[in-house]
Amino acid sequence: MSKPEFDKVKRPETIKLPFMLDFYPLEDEKYTRISQFFENLKEGRLTTTKCKRCAKLSWPPRIVCPECLSDELEWVDIGTEGELYAFTEMRLGAPLGFGQDVPFCIGIVKIGGLLISARIDNARYDELKIGDKLKLKIVELEDGRVFYRFKKPS
Amino acid sequence: MRKVAIVGGGATRCGKRKASWRDLVQEAGKAMFESVDNLSPKDVDSLIVGAAQPERFVFQAHVAPMVAEYLGITPRKVIARTELMCASGQAAIRYAWACVATGLADVAVAFGVEKMFMPDMAEAQTNMTCVLDREWDGVNGLSAPPFFAMTAQRHMHEYGTTKDQMALVSVKNHHYSSLNPFAQFQKEITVEDVLKSVAIAPPLNLFDCSGITDGAAGVILVPAEDAKKYADTPMYVIGSGQASIGNAINNFASLTDWVPLKIAAKEALRSAKITLDNIDIAEVHDCFTISEIIEYEAFGWCEKGEGGKFIEDGQPYIGGKVAVNPRGGLLGCGHPLGATAILQAIDILQQFKGAVPKGRLVNDAEIAVAHNLSGAANVHSIVIYSR
Repeated sequence: MSKPEFDKVKRPETIKLPFMLDFYPLEDEKYTRISQFFENLKEGRLTTTKCKRCAKLSWPPRIVCPECLSDELEWVDIGTEGELYAFTEMRLGAPLGFGQDVPFCIGIVKIGGLLISARIDNARYDELKIGDKLKLKIVELEDGRVFYRFKKPS
Repeated sequence: MRKVAIVGGGATRCGKRKASWRDLVQEAGKAMFESVDNLSPKDVDSLIVGAAQPERFVFQAHVAPMVAEYLGITPRKVIARTELMCASGQAAIRYAWACVATGLADVAVAFGVEKMFMPDMAEAQTNMTCVLDREWDGVNGLSAPPFFAMTAQRHMHEYGTTKDQMALVSVKNHHYSSLNPFAQFQKEITVEDVLKSVAIAPPLNLFDCSGITDGAAGVILVPAEDAKKYADTPMYVIGSGQASIGNAINNFASLTDWVPLKIAAKEALRSAKITLDNIDIAEVHDCFTISEIIEYEAFGWCEKGEGGKFIEDGQPYIGGKVAVNPRGGLLGCGHPLGATAILQAIDILQQFKGAVPKGRLVNDAEIAVAHNLSGAANVHSIVIYSR
């Protein structure tokens, strides 16, 4: 019996990364009510929301206070210098879109009374220690969105 | 509230399986129904399916009806899927238990399944990055290994815990999984093997981490008064507890003090009307070696900061203070997210029956605790079973 013939159909081998498989938040005011955070970041300021009623400082920024449910929040500066609380280095198993950066350091940074996770640039794992002073670093994506990282001062 | 029994359960072998998501469902479902007498799929009135990320791993949602279809179950009381990431299966057990206890259901199946091996494993790793807060933690490349690496680093920094001590957890659990035909890893390993395995995120090496795993499992829950109709040796759900402190990493006052685990354990013991000393078997969530060390402490089997010494002294081995993970744990058996808690329950049932291989049998065990954490260890879920 001869091998049957089939219609060939195409399936693109590469597709554009869908927006929701993009790790970075949608920052524009069309998509989020905390776009002010990113506007502040573009000016070099790391900020978050503080409740005007109960003074609860939230991270990440909110539109409603999780303590007292007030929606009267204000933007406050967290600062630009932090302290390394914990860190590691991603060596294997990085997600898509991070491959070109491996190995890279990730840490938890104590800043402005908060513990926040961030990429730690400008150092390899062996060059860091708990308690290191770190400086805010802002990165810009090709599409103009911005995000925060920290770096070891050189 | 009615007392609830688990009368039977069945599972696939875990590992890198040449099988699809729905193949796994069918294998485990067949084994589950064959483990009990006088019960057919049509007798099941309720189905809860624990599945963490089928939308990402196999691009399929609405999976509870799919499991029902493939297993010939026709739910007429309750059907739903539970997602609580690594504790999705335990959420399924807890909801099935609650449904039977309240009379909402009479014969319920708690099922769990995860197909994690994908043609491109970077995609699988990517899926795990939306478990923490994707926009604020995941965006930094944070998934489970780097988070638990930092937890380990803090534990080493605060209490002097060593990499050797962490390695001993993996050695113990691989020892037991070498005696478990359902396990993903059935080979003994040494401390040196762990220390020499490739670094994933320092201080964690490959053998400090549980595997990526395909697997499925299911258990059948009925009112205790009906249990003997289906099995000679049922086991009973006698207590449960659960607590959470949000999802993002910034919610922690400390990485090494697992407050929600303490709350969940206290509630589980209270509701079961037992003390920690009554527990013969502890199936705890060793997704990473450091997790098990912190769990010894948070449950209260040893003092805070003494978890490393606890394993060094052999206390979590059978014959020690408490038999921890005689199944082989997640480190030895693998961690098919939605199926993991169901696999723990099935092994406890087998322990109570005396039906596990001798080297990992806990003689005359009466009471067992099953624990799962999820996310950045900010949710802890516990069920207590008795013979």
